[in-house]
Amino acid sequence: MRVVVADDSRVMRQIVIRTLRQAGYEWDITEASDGAESLQLARDVDPDLVLSDWNMPEMTGIDMLRAMRAAGMDIPLGFVTSEGSPEMREQAEAAGALFLIAKPFTADTFRETIDPFLA
Amino acid sequence: MSAAIDMSVFSETVFAIAEEVFSAMIDPEPGALQPSVEDVEAPADATYAWVDVHGEHPGRVMLGTEHETAMLLTRALLMMAQDEEVSDADFVDAVGEIANVVGGNVKALVPDPGPLTLPQVAAEPPADGAVLLHDAQFAWRGRPLGISLWSLP
Repeated sequence: MRVVVADDSRVMRQIVIRTLRQAGYEWDITEASDGAESLQLARDVDPDLVLSDWNMPEMTGIDMLRAMRAAGMDIPLGFVTSEGSPEMREQAEAAGALFLIAKPFTADTFRETIDPFLA
Repeated sequence: MSAAIDMSVFSETVFAIAEEVFSAMIDPEPGALQPSVEDVEAPADATYAWVDVHGEHPGRVMLGTEHETAMLLTRALLMMAQDEEVSDADFVDAVGEIANVVGGNVKALVPDPGPLTLPQVAAEPPADGAVLLHDAQFAWRGRPLGISLWSLP
């Protein structure tokens, strides 16, 4: 399974990838450092899933998701973000996100949230 | 932001948030972060990391600690050896992300908050007229660490 992990923090990308491995996901992961790079990777790599931060320079995660959908790309996307307000969850769902995981997270959080979408 | 947060329980609230952040990201075993009742003077060699929340009640959540403690936090976050060299980029990134995650969770306490800024990291706190509302002191692995809430002009 090909997965793009998008976060402007290299440290956070490392932690997300480490936690995915702890959760048992042996995925082929490509990293993106902002929304624009992630959008380009979505076009180039055609991943099976995008895991994206919300607040990033160049292009935010929600703008990237909207741009993907506007371009006809239905690649599944979940947010992994430091903010998980009800308003953001509503925006995420309305834009077509599968889920929103609020930081901090654990391997259990990842499994509980992501597993239902892998069936 | 402050108008919507109950200051009388800020220390307890921010401790609960920080404990969750630290146990998930830094120390899998609980107990590394403890509330502290000691008044701690600003360290001479300090690191500050903060995020701002814009909107109707603009505010700032700032983490402050000794540089050496921030370096230990970075190594712990990145699962590095105690003597492993930490690059400046990783240091700023790691300490900023801790402030970002704590700040994002504090922001969640506020109804209808504005956007959160990207984290900033510096050796001095920003001198922009922010007013200190509350300073919660903790001990991480026995080392002083403060998390403060500020009102922005």
